[in-house]
Amino acid sequence: MKIAGSYTVPFPPERAYEMMQDPDVLARSIPGCESLEKIGENEYRMKMKMVLASLSGAFEGKVRLADQKPPSSFRMVVEGSGKIGFVKGDGLLTLTPKDGGTEVAYDGDAQVGGTMAAVGQRLIDATAKMMIKRFFENLRSVEVSSR
Amino acid sequence: MATTITKPETLVGKRIRRREDPRLITGTATYVDDIKMPGMHYATIVRSPHAAARIRSINTKKAAAHKGVIAVFTGKDTQKVGPVPCGASLPGLRVPHHHILAMDRVYFAGHPVAVVVATDRYVAADAADLIEVDWDVLPAVADPEKALAKGAPAVHPEWPDNVAFNYHQEGGNVEKAFSEADVVVKQRITSQRLIPTAMETRGVVADWRPADRQLNLYSSTQIPHLMRTLVAQMLGLEENRLRVVAPEVGGGFGSKLNVYAEEALMGFVAMKIQQPVKWIESRRENFLCTIHGRGHVDHYEVAAKRDGTILGIKLHIIQDLGAYHQLLTPAIPTLSVLMMPGLYKTQNVRADIVGVFTNCVPTDAYRGAGRPEATHGIERMVDVLAAELKMDPAEIRLKNFVTKEQFPFPTATGLTYDSGDYAAPLKKALDIVDYQNLRNEQAQARKQGKLMGIGMSTYGEICAFGPSPATPAGGWESATVKIDPTGKVTVMTGASPHGQGEETTFAQIAADELGVNIDDILVLHGDTAVVQYGIGTFGSRSTAVGGTAVYFALQDLKAKIKKFGAMLLGSDDVSFSGGQVICNKTGKSKSIQEIAAASYRAMKLPPNTEPGLISTHFWEPPNFTFPFGAHIVVTDVDRDTGAVAVRRYVAVDDCGNILNPLIVDGQIHGGVAQGLGQALWEQAVYDDNGQLVTGELMDYAVPKAHMMPRIESDHTTTPTSVNPLGVKGVGEAGTIGCSPAVVNSVVDALAPLGVKHLDMPMTPETIWKLIARSKS
Amino acid sequence: MIPQAFDYTAPKSLDEALGLLAKGAKPLAGGMSLIPMMKLRLAAPDHLVDLRRLKDLNYIREQGAAVHIGATATHYDVENSAVVRGKCPLLAETAAHIGDVQVRNMGTIGGSIAHNDPSADYPAALQALEAKVVLKGAKSERTVSVADFFVDTFTTALEPGEIIREVIVPVEDSGTGTSYQKVAQPASGFAIVGIAVRVRKSGGKIGMARIGVTGLANRSYRAAAAEKALEGKAGSATEIQNAASLVAERVDVNSDLHASADYRRHLAVVYAARALMAALARSA
Ligand SMILES: Cc1cc2nc3c(=O)[nH]c(=O)nc-3n(C[C@H](O)[C@H](O)[C@H](O)COP(=O)(O)OP(=O)(O)OC[C@H]3O[C@@H](n4cnc5c(N)ncnc54)[C@H](O)[C@@H]3O)c2cc1C
Repeated sequence: MKIAGSYTVPFPPERAYEMMQDPDVLARSIPGCESLEKIGENEYRMKMKMVLASLSGAFEGKVRLADQKPPSSFRMVVEGSGKIGFVKGDGLLTLTPKDGGTEVAYDGDAQVGGTMAAVGQRLIDATAKMMIKRFFENLRSVEVSSR
Repeated sequence: MATTITKPETLVGKRIRRREDPRLITGTATYVDDIKMPGMHYATIVRSPHAAARIRSINTKKAAAHKGVIAVFTGKDTQKVGPVPCGASLPGLRVPHHHILAMDRVYFAGHPVAVVVATDRYVAADAADLIEVDWDVLPAVADPEKALAKGAPAVHPEWPDNVAFNYHQEGGNVEKAFSEADVVVKQRITSQRLIPTAMETRGVVADWRPADRQLNLYSSTQIPHLMRTLVAQMLGLEENRLRVVAPEVGGGFGSKLNVYAEEALMGFVAMKIQQPVKWIESRRENFLCTIHGRGHVDHYEVAAKRDGTILGIKLHIIQDLGAYHQLLTPAIPTLSVLMMPGLYKTQNVRADIVGVFTNCVPTDAYRGAGRPEATHGIERMVDVLAAELKMDPAEIRLKNFVTKEQFPFPTATGLTYDSGDYAAPLKKALDIVDYQNLRNEQAQARKQGKLMGIGMSTYGEICAFGPSPATPAGGWESATVKIDPTGKVTVMTGASPHGQGEETTFAQIAADELGVNIDDILVLHGDTAVVQYGIGTFGSRSTAVGGTAVYFALQDLKAKIKKFGAMLLGSDDVSFSGGQVICNKTGKSKSIQEIAAASYRAMKLPPNTEPGLISTHFWEPPNFTFPFGAHIVVTDVDRDTGAVAVRRYVAVDDCGNILNPLIVDGQIHGGVAQGLGQALWEQAVYDDNGQLVTGELMDYAVPKAHMMPRIESDHTTTPTSVNPLGVKGVGEAGTIGCSPAVVNSVVDALAPLGVKHLDMPMTPETIWKLIARSKS
Repeated sequence: MIPQAFDYTAPKSLDEALGLLAKGAKPLAGGMSLIPMMKLRLAAPDHLVDLRRLKDLNYIREQGAAVHIGATATHYDVENSAVVRGKCPLLAETAAHIGDVQVRNMGTIGGSIAHNDPSADYPAALQALEAKVVLKGAKSERTVSVADFFVDTFTTALEPGEIIREVIVPVEDSGTGTSYQKVAQPASGFAIVGIAVRVRKSGGKIGMARIGVTGLANRSYRAAAAEKALEGKAGSATEIQNAASLVAERVDVNSDLHASADYRRHLAVVYAARALMAALARSA
């Protein structure tokens, strides 16, 4: 499934870029992330718990950053699997200055498998969008609280 | 002087209510899941979430240690069990070894990898969650055309081209036909993957009696006897030590015409744990792991003369087989080839099939099995041709039909059509819809910019499977009829009805033949310990083949009854009628009850006659039967949304003699529902990674009662000479006739916009896009 | 299709229920959404508190200028209630579109809006009706407008420990015309698009128009631009078409197997026009 969109954060690209490379910031921004542990250069092991209405599930997986071109773009690969299925997202994030802030455009592919894929068809798109939105909202509040 | 005996009312041909229904509608029938046994254990199967992956390791420790779990088995434990059988043989067919549990690799999402056995099903489900599999996920391919492309992932590494077989058949002289043609029309036509969705999912109970070396297997199946033969082989058990029972079966539609891994697996488990074990398939498993139907991409070419005469047909089929061959997987598309000429005279055909492996659950027989695809193809092509030649679709059909005088008619594909009058149902259907007026109405509607369509299909099908040399497992059917000393009658049939109503129709046949009350007759089936042997219920065969076996068993029995009657009446000049043997001279008579009692008491026996009244007949049919009919569908397409509304559905079917019109109507209605499902709503969708995204009823759209149009059902009657009952079979007709009529109707509605073809399901969005495109 | 083990309590009073919920238990109403998720093990609550036996939550009554609907009123109750049919017919019409008979017999209004499926039917009507939701916790009670209640996909203003006590719907003025028009997804019956409309005319002009939309986006919403475009208009076919074309303005439209974003957007426009026509025809 293709996923593309954009979100604007109220701080400049350099700041946004730097934050999104920082595992502590990622840990606090990825929705449901419980821990992020470095296992290699730009690669982290992640534990997360997804809670969405009645749905809840624990996932274990990885976050990997690649193709870094500061401060304008990088790729983020997120993989997780748990009892209710697995997810894999691979996307290019492009940062451009916009009115003193940064427009972060994302464009990528998401794969969902297992029970989640089979029963959540009509919800995957809406849910993915919400998760991404939450990520940027969290990023924004992390930035605000760090000021 | 002969006394006149009033002939009792005959039952065959009457609208008799189904005798099996009271138990079904009062919820007192016994399905597999209703079976309870002391010491019953429950199994949950752990399945692959991935479509293609290597299994690095499986850790079962936590599951095995879970309280209430008594055993966990993986592929290593079950590797000595024989493979899931493929009953079809084609030259050069590649058959992957289909272990009942995956060994070191999985080939489709849902592939079984382990089984957890516990004291209750909740514990088993909890423990299944504790099994850890270390997967090495591999690229998968879920689309047959993509699987054929260069560089596609190999489903089975040993066959990198993903081709399981190539099949070629031809008749007549196709090249000549095409070279002489005025016009050649071509079209790519798909028949999407469908999920059979029987109301009852599959289920198995296995009960091992070690002291008797006896395994009792209860399975929701259409073929208990074949299953017994095959599962016994898989388990290495003597066949006579295995009893298979098909209890009440809540629908199959072909999906239970199979032997699955789970049947042998439960047998294996029961023998290991020495306790009974039950496995009930969830709906989700049913969608993932029970066979799917269809899965065709067809390329058609039809050559014709300018006057509409069809000269020849070329067909190239790409069949999506899935990851394995289930019982009949590779054979299904060959049925499409057999029926590719439809009802038309043409003697020049050529067909090629390429059977393709994909990382999906196998396809196999689903209501119609190969014939809906064939009918859809030829009936679409005839419309495409009619449009090209600007001919009326009814006219072009009437022009090309095999005519009444030509039967028995040898087809270019090697069949002999038994009997028919193909114009009759079409003409009747045209009358019912008032065709000419309808076309006038359509012309008016078009002037107002409305999208109204009239579509028809004239189908022919092959059923009553079938002469043994032409079938994978023998095509006869058996019957035993037994009259008890008190005169009550039991019919044991090798057919295995699961909704088709043979407990009623076979009782009607027996009641008429013996002249007894229908309530004195019991029809038994589906238990290998009760029924001699049998083939089962599928391919619209049970009445035409199984019913005929009953008929012949009854003839033998009647002869014996007459002998006993003659002896008791002391006369050779007797006749049998109305449940009595009557002396033609004196008018004296003996009832069946009296004769039955005497035959078992055996104080005296007629010459060369054994005591008792029991007769068994195995009937081998000399040919298939070929029912036919015409369906006409009127649709209205919403210009704004692309939504299709079916305004009228007229079905005129000819299934030979009708034993029970109520049951025939039911079969037509159900069949049409499934045909409409394919035409408008249903599709099994796998994503590029082999995930089944229509994995639940929330996304897989089976038709519901409120989505069905009223079906105006009528018949013509052309008896077959293949069997003495003159019956042909009707179980699949509705489905086979339906989908092309609906698609032809919608294409007709959209014709003013330049639309020439639509693939199924014809979703509103697809149609809306076509409408939008025609505007721009 | 076997859920994980869980505790179950059918409390005798609302206070007892709220006490358990405060400790982390999860409310169970009709179970039409929750139980399937549990059976698939997508949800695994430890403790369920059954609200359906609480008389305090099961009522439909007219009070002042509003109809109060207790959280456990079933879709069937709402569809068939004389009060709802008479005083806010839009809601009864909408309830009749939900699922099938079995689902309507079991499912509740509280459960539906708490679940906040982006394709559920009620939210469209409740948006158009400018309804309010009363939320009750162990210690406090608050009333929020539906506009604030429906936050995002499956996300509402409910705080942990809180339940929906009731939904308050204003009594409709007699001259108001209403209509709910839905494109049902053929498998689940949920709305691909659902449009709820209320219109009132005075002196031949549309004085009030409310349009609630479901199925289209991450949550239900009111199509304000379309509403505005109608005000003061006579309601000609062109005016309706113009207004309808605004229902999906600036909306990030969902797409799935059953309808792409483009098609959904198009359906929303077509169905908004249809709902407006039907509502205008019913208005005095
Ligand atoms: C086959 C099928 C078809 C359907 N079709 C449609 C359709 O066409 N349109 C549509 O709108 N819906 C449809 N539904 C959903 C249906 O309307 C559900 O009834 C509804 O969404 C949930 O209501 P419930 O009472 O069953 O809640 P439950 O399933 O019991 O609960 C749902 C959620 O709400 C919470 N909850 C319940 N009550 C309260 C409360 N008072 N306060 C706080 N939280 C609460 C629960 O904890 C749970 O998280 C369908 C459902 C099914 C099974």
